[in-house]
Formats: sequence, structure tokens, C-alpha cells
Amino acid sequence: MVAMAIFAPFISPYSPSQQDLDNARQPPLGFSTTETREVTQMENGSVVIEDGQVVTETQTVYTNATLAHPLGTDGNGRDILSRIIYGARTSILVGLFGTSLAALIGVLVGLSAGFYRGRVDDVLMRSADIMLAFPSLVLAIALVGVWGQAQAPIPDPFVATGLAPAFRSAVGLPTGMPGTIVLPGTVIVVVALVNWVWFARVARGEALSIREEEYVKAAKALGASDGRTVLRHVLPNAITPILVLATIQVAAIILLESALSFLGFSGADVSWGFDIALGRQYQSTAWWISTMPGLAIVVTVIGLNLVGDWLRDALDPGIEGEGGV
Amino acid sequence: MSLSRFLIKRSLQGLFVIWGVITVVFGLRFISPGDPANVLLPPDVDPEVRAQVIAELGLNEPLYVQYWEFISGIPFGDLGLSLVTRTPVSARVVARLPATLELAIAATVVAVVIAIPLGVLSATRRHEPADYGATVFSLVGISTPNFWLGVMLILVLAVQLDAFPTSQRPIGLDGIAVLLAGGDVGAAIRGFGTWLWHITLPAITLGTYFTALITRLTRSGMLDQLGQTYVRATRAKGLPETLVRYKHALRNTLIPVITVIGLQLGTLIGGAVITEAVFAWPGLGSLIINSINARDWPVLQGSLIVVAVGFVLVNILVDALYAYVNPQVAYD
Repeated sequence: MVAMAIFAPFISPYSPSQQDLDNARQPPLGFSTTETREVTQMENGSVVIEDGQVVTETQTVYTNATLAHPLGTDGNGRDILSRIIYGARTSILVGLFGTSLAALIGVLVGLSAGFYRGRVDDVLMRSADIMLAFPSLVLAIALVGVWGQAQAPIPDPFVATGLAPAFRSAVGLPTGMPGTIVLPGTVIVVVALVNWVWFARVARGEALSIREEEYVKAAKALGASDGRTVLRHVLPNAITPILVLATIQVAAIILLESALSFLGFSGADVSWGFDIALGRQYQSTAWWISTMPGLAIVVTVIGLNLVGDWLRDALDPGIEGEGGV
Repeated sequence: MSLSRFLIKRSLQGLFVIWGVITVVFGLRFISPGDPANVLLPPDVDPEVRAQVIAELGLNEPLYVQYWEFISGIPFGDLGLSLVTRTPVSARVVARLPATLELAIAATVVAVVIAIPLGVLSATRRHEPADYGATVFSLVGISTPNFWLGVMLILVLAVQLDAFPTSQRPIGLDGIAVLLAGGDVGAAIRGFGTWLWHITLPAITLGTYFTALITRLTRSGMLDQLGQTYVRATRAKGLPETLVRYKHALRNTLIPVITVIGLQLGTLIGGAVITEAVFAWPGLGSLIINSINARDWPVLQGSLIVVAVGFVLVNILVDALYAYVNPQVAYD
């Protein structure tokens, strides 16, 4: 998935926004559709009129899957595979940046709360309680809704350097890939604001026990500053559970992003959740438009959850591998 | 510390969190780029009329006056007036509350009824096909976005097979209660059937994540308990295996499971927001989304406060229940 997202301009069969209305709603490989339509009856190149009415007839249209669009096309004839490949960029960017920002805030808050205890701890942890009182999706919707959807287009390095277009014309793929990656800024900030609390809790718990260790006392006795003690001695020893949490949080944030974009609160132009919402108007004629991006989300999140479980078992010999799935 | 002192301490903490929630919600309006007066007025309005409207809304008052106006009404259920409809926010929130509560409760019922037997089955038949099935189910269930599951259920069961409606809520339990109170039992039973038919897909959609989560917890909790010495002791006494499993091991497993169910109610309400959007379910979630789209601040603020306060109260309740069920807990 990550490789797919990074190298999107090389491997995507089409541009995610390229429309082809003649080939709209093509089914994925292995499927075909029949659709009945009312068509105006034509005779010698002109419409037939009887009793002052245009005569229509019912036609059955068969559409077969083509190799050109292995996962089919959406309501505007855009290639679904290409949109999933580009949508992966949005999900992974939001997942990584959102988690990093959340971890940065949460670890700073948690470590200082656990290290200093007392008043600092009380103030920081009570504000964490306040954040936890809001269901995360509700708070995220409210914040994005209130803030608006700021986005930052950043140039796609592969397109800007000419590497991707050169590669594509060499292997005969259509060119004209988008030159920018849209970074949904508000969404990234909001998912971090909503999720930092989990990092704060874990980091605080670790700091509380580590501050009592001999080596921390030794560092203090040698005159190390608080900042140095926390960064050089406490943080490295607290990093394992934080890493495990981060993996699971990337999955949670990808789910949160897809929910936000499904509801229309996203700054990105291509996103899995948004495409699921787009496909809903075709649910009686073209099931694959909503189905495919959802499968992409499920596969990605399962993968991340498995990595999280594996990391927890591998890094923490204290917990037996039997706990979760 | 005694239970009553614990409850008092917990309630004071809860009050503090509620105050914080209200303050955060009050602050939300000020990070917004838009001016509330613009919601009510056309852009080319006469500046004098505009000033008058702003004065009526109290928006020209100093911040602390606005804050006091906002916070002082809340204990009496006064959440202000909607900018768009000019009706009390509290009435609109109360009208939407039953739909969300019904959905949340139905989803919890679905989750508990499926997950606990499944978790027990999985733990007692370890490394058998049933266990692998349950394990895979819970991994997939935790990783599936519920809105997509909802769309898929509509696609297959409502659109293709026509077995269920694509939902909406023609009647609620509150409506059925009114029918019963009126003595019309036949209509109430028909109403209940309609209700059940409409709530099935939304409840499955919202409940799947919890089913997966609780299955996981029950399985690992059961495995943990079955390995304990007291289980071996009861077996050695010759107690039948069913009694060992369900009377002893399961009981001890359920204590942490109950806590997690309580703690996850917030996620449940968050999930309800999006489930309501998928199924056109007229609850708090759709009210929140509509009020954001309409820039109707007071309604958004009121709904957020109700959701968060409800969550805090439930958490206190769960803590108390936990302390009551498990006498070992130190009231800390």
C-alpha cells in the first residue's frame, strides 16, 4: 500500500480525475451488467413522433468488463483502480502526518505530566479528560466544519522532475497525471487534536514508573537538566509502547479520515471515503463504485492492526502473545 | 475510601470535566472564520439592520458577558435559540435524542448477544475452526469502517434482495409508548414490527465494531481465567465443565468486559453520527451535521454539550457499577 501510494504517478493506469463519460459505470473484471434504458426511437436519422409524442423504446444494454479498467469505472467514467491508488496517498499522508503530530503533542504532554507530577500533572491530565469527553468523530466533524477545509497543494516530486511522465510514455501509459498532491491540512491538524490524548496517557504512565528508576536518579544527581533527563533517559525507555500505539493510531486515523471524507468534510480531491459516498447514488446499477474503495480501506487497516499486534508481541516480552488476535 | 465518598469525588471530577466541555464548545465559535450574523442576513444588508441584529443576538457584548449568558442557562436546560429556526435548541435536541439512544442501545444488544457467546466458544475451542473463524471475524470487524459496512448492507440486503428497507425511522419506541398508553395494543405491536424492521440494518452497522471488540476481549479474558488456579480447583472438585466455565470463569471475565463496554460508549455515539448519515436516521448525529452545514452555531453547541455531558455521566455510572461488581477495586 505504501509503495503504491508513493509511486502512484508511475503505476496508476490513468489520471484519477480523467473523465470518460462514454465508458461510465463499467463493471470490474469478471462481471458484466445489463441495464434497461428508455431510448428515443430513431428512423432514418430522425426521431419518430406519434400523436405529438416522441416515441421511446426499451433497450437492454450489456456492458462487459474490459482489461482497460480492471476494477471498473465510476459514474463519470473515471478509472476506479487509479482513484484507489491516488486515494491511498491521501489516507497514508493523513495517517502518517496526523499520527506524528498527535504523538508529538501527546508524548510531550504525557512525559511532562508523568515526570513533574503534582500540579502540572493535574492540569494536563484534567484537560485530557475534557478532550476524552467528546466522541472523537463528533469532535473532528465539529472542528473541520467550524474551521473550514484548508488544503495545501504540494508539487508531486515524480511529476515535477519529469521522471513519471518519461516513464509513462516509455511504457505506453496515458500521460497527464496531476502535478500536485493535495495535503488536507485541516484534517491532519484535527485528527491530531482529537487523538493526542492516547499518546499522553501512555507516555505519562511510562514516565511515572521510569522516573523512579536508578538511572534517572543517577542522571539527576550528576546534574543533568530536566530536559536532558527526559529526552535522553526517560523517552528512550518509554518508546516501545508509544511505537505500538502509533501503529494502531495510524489505522484509527485512516478510518477517521475516511469517515470525515465520506461525510464530505475533507480537503482532499481524491479519497477512499469520498468515493464510497459518490458511489451511493449508483448503488442499484453499479455496486462496485462504493465497494472497491471500501475494500482498500479494510485491507489497509487489517494490515496495520496486524503489524501493531505483531510489534506488541515482538517488542514486549512481558506480554504473552496470546492476548489479542 | 467508602463507595459514597468515591462517588462524591468522581462526581466533582465529572462536574469539572462538564465545565471544561462547555467552555471548549463556547470557544468553538471563535475559531470559525464566519460571522454568525451572516447566517441570518443577506450579504448586501443595510449596516444599521446588521448592527441591530448583532445587538439582538448579544454578539456586541463583552466576551465575559456572552460567556456568562451561555453558561448560566445550561443548568436549567436553556441552550439558546437556533439561528436558523429561532426555536429553542433544547427542544430540537430532545426531539432527536430518542432516535440516537435507540440506535445505540440496539447496537449494544446486537454486540453483547453475539460477542460473548462467540468469545466463550472461541476460548473453549482453542485452535479449532470455530476459534479461527471468530478470530478472523473480530480482526475484520475491527478494521471495517462502519459507514462502508452500512453502504454494503444496503446494497445487498435492501437494494438487491429487498429484504430490508434502506431505513429511515417511520416510528420510534417513544411513538410506540404513546400508542400503548392510548390503549391501542394492535397498533403498538405493528409499530414495534416496523421499528424492528427499520432498525436492524443500522444496528448491525453500528454494532459490528463492538461485536468484534467484545469477542476479542471475552476470548482473551476467558483464556486468562481458564488458566487460573481456582478453575483447576473447581475442576478437581469434580464440578461439571459447564458450571466451571459459565458460573466461575465467565463471571470473572465479564468484569473487565463491562468496563470496556462503558468506556466505548463514546465511540458508539461517534459511530452513531455516521450510521445516521448512511441510513437517514433522524438522531443527534444528523442534527450535528445539518447544523454544521447550516452554520447554526447554537444547535451545534447544544448537541455537542448534550453528547459530551451524557458521556461523562455514563462513565461515572460505569465506574460506580464496576466498583460495586468488583469488591477488590480500590476507589482511587
